[in-house]
Amino acid sequence: MAAADAPRLLRMALPKGALYDESVALLGRAGFDAAGLADPGRQLTLRTADFEYIIARPTDIPVYVAYGGVDVAIAGRDVLVEAGLDVAELLDLRFGGCRFVVAEPEDAAPAVSERLRHLGVLRVGTKYPHITEEYFAELGQQVEIVKLHGNVELAPLIGLVDRIVDITATGRTLTENRLRITGEVLTSTARLVANPVSAKTEPERIRGLAQRLAAVRPAEREECWR
Amino acid sequence: MRPVTPRGFRDVLFQEAAERGSLAASVRGVFSAWGYREVSTPVVEEAAALEAGMGSLEGTAFRLLDLDGRLLALRPEMTVPIARLVASRLAEDSGPHRLAYVAEVFREHASLRGQAREFTQAGVELVGASGPAADAEVVAVLVEALAASGLPEFLVGVGTVAVLGALLEVSGAPDAWRAGVMAACHDRNLVELDRLVACAELPPAVGDAIAGVPRVRGGREAIAEARELAGACGCAASLDDLEETWALLEVSGAAERVTLDFGILRSFDYYTGLIVEAYAPGLGLPLGGGGRYDGVLAAFDRPAPAAGFALGLERVHIALAEQGHAPRTRGIDAVVAGESAAAFVAASELRAGGWRVWLSPARDGREVVAEARRLDAEEALLAEPDGTVARLDRDGGPSLPLSRPFPAPPTLSWASKGGAG
Repeated sequence: MAAADAPRLLRMALPKGALYDESVALLGRAGFDAAGLADPGRQLTLRTADFEYIIARPTDIPVYVAYGGVDVAIAGRDVLVEAGLDVAELLDLRFGGCRFVVAEPEDAAPAVSERLRHLGVLRVGTKYPHITEEYFAELGQQVEIVKLHGNVELAPLIGLVDRIVDITATGRTLTENRLRITGEVLTSTARLVANPVSAKTEPERIRGLAQRLAAVRPAEREECWR
Repeated sequence: MRPVTPRGFRDVLFQEAAERGSLAASVRGVFSAWGYREVSTPVVEEAAALEAGMGSLEGTAFRLLDLDGRLLALRPEMTVPIARLVASRLAEDSGPHRLAYVAEVFREHASLRGQAREFTQAGVELVGASGPAADAEVVAVLVEALAASGLPEFLVGVGTVAVLGALLEVSGAPDAWRAGVMAACHDRNLVELDRLVACAELPPAVGDAIAGVPRVRGGREAIAEARELAGACGCAASLDDLEETWALLEVSGAAERVTLDFGILRSFDYYTGLIVEAYAPGLGLPLGGGGRYDGVLAAFDRPAPAAGFALGLERVHIALAEQGHAPRTRGIDAVVAGESAAAFVAASELRAGGWRVWLSPARDGREVVAEARRLDAEEALLAEPDGTVARLDRDGGPSLPLSRPFPAPPTLSWASKGGAG
C-alpha cells in the first residue's frame, strides 16, 4: 500500500434504522455528496468522492470502529455505552435523542414490591444487558437480567420479567403496552466517533469532518419526550 | 479427545515464527545499540506485587492459586515486572539501568472479541534517569526500533500528562470532577470532556485550557499553542520538559517521525510525565506505547524515576504484512536424498557452505521432488555414492550435478536483499 498517489478515502459507517435518514441529511447539509445514500437499496457499501460508506447494523458499529474496520462512524450513544469498546467520541450530533428507561406494567407495582420482599430479586428484560447491569449495580439492587433481542415490551406482559430496560424516543410503545416508566437510566443522542488510531494518523481529515458537521448540526440538543 | 488451544491462544507455525524471529532480531539490534541489555523475568508474579505496581489488576490478568494458597498472576505487561526486578535484584546498584526485553504477556479478555490473550512485547526501560534527555532517548529508541523493523509508514505520538495535571490542580475543582475529566480524556471522549467543562464553574481561561489542550497536536508549533492555553492559567512551566525533549528529538532526527499530541493518555494509570504511542496507518490499534512512570518503583520501596515503552510485536508484524514489507526469511534450501551415508556426507558439506538442508529417506526421484515442493525448498538433490550431488528435474530425473565447491545457498540472496536471516 505504501506511497499510494491519491490518499485513500476515509471509511465511514452509517447506522441502518432510526438514525439513518438524519445522518444522511446531516452529511448533505455539510456539503458532502449524499445523493446515493438516500436510497442505497440493498447496497452495503458505497463510494463517493468524500468517503467509502459502510451501511451497518447499529450495534455492530462500535465494533467496526474500535477494531479499525472503519475510520469514522455515526452511532447512538446508547450502542456505544452498551458495547464499552475503545472509540474516540468526537462530537455530539444532537439528533436521534432518546432515553433509556426502566418500565413496568401499570398495575404491577404491588406485585413487584411483594416479589422484592419475598425473593429480594427482580427480573429485568432488556436488549442492553451491560447498561442494565451497571445501572442496577449502582442502585445497589440485585437483579436477574434476561437478554432479549426484540419487542422487549412483551416480556413483562407474558410474565417473563418484572421490569424492562429499554430505549424510547416518544414513549408511545410503552403506553400502548400499558407500561409505566419507573426510572431513567441515561439519555442518548447520535455521536460522531472515530477509531482512536485513525484519529491520530488522519487528524486533519477527521478534524475537518467534525468541524463541518458541527457547523450544520441542530443548534440545540434534540430534547426527547418526557 | 479432540485437542484445541484455549480461546485467545494460538500456535505459531513456520513462516510466521521465522518472520517474528527476524523482526525480534531487528528490534533487539536497536535496543543493544543504545546500550540496553536484555533480561527475562518469570512468566508469573505475585499478584500483590503486580497490583502494588499497576494500581489495579482489574480484569487484565490471569490469576492462579498455587499449592501454598498464594495468589499469582501471569504478567499482563512488562513494566511492573522490570520495576520489581530493579527493586529486588538490582537494589544495591543505584543505576541508571538500561534494560530490554522481548517477552510474552497475558491479558484476560471477554470472549468473542477477537482478541488474543497472549502476545509478545518488545521494549526497554530506562530506570534511574529523568529529565528531557532520558525522555528523548526513550522516544528515539522507539522510533529507531520501528524503522529497523522495516515498517515504511508509522507515526509516533508524544504527549505529557503534566499539563493536564497542572491545569486540574489550578482548577480547584472537586476530585470527582477531576477524575471525570481524566476518564473522558482516557476514553478520548471529547463530547464528555466538553460537557464536564461546560457544567463546572471554572475561571474561563482554565475551562478553555482543559477543553483545549487535549485537542492540541502538531510539531513545534503545538507546544506554543499549548503554552498559550496553559500560560493563561499560570501553568506554562508544565511544558518546559516537553519542549526540551522535542528539541533533542529534532537534533537526533527522530522528530521527523514524531507528532506532539496532548490528547494521548494511555490506559495504565501509572504514567507521571511523558506519554508515547506508536501507530501505523490503517491498523486500528496502536503498535505500542509507554511513557514516564516515576511512581512505580516507589511502590516497591526503591523510589527512582523511570521511563520506557513496549511494542506489540504481533501488531508490528501485521502492519509490516499490510504494508507489503513482511520480513524475508530463509526457508529450506534443499531436500537431499540418496543412499544414507552419501546423503549424510553431502548434507554435511552443504551445511558447511551455509545451506539449510532437509534429509529425505525417499529413494524415488519423483518422491524427492514432491517432498521439496511440499517444503517449498529451492532444490531437490540426489547424493550419489561417488560423491556427486545431482539436481533433480521436475520429473525426478537426475539433471546437472552441483558444481564444486558448492555454490552459495539459493535463499541467501533473499536475506541479503534487505530482510534479516
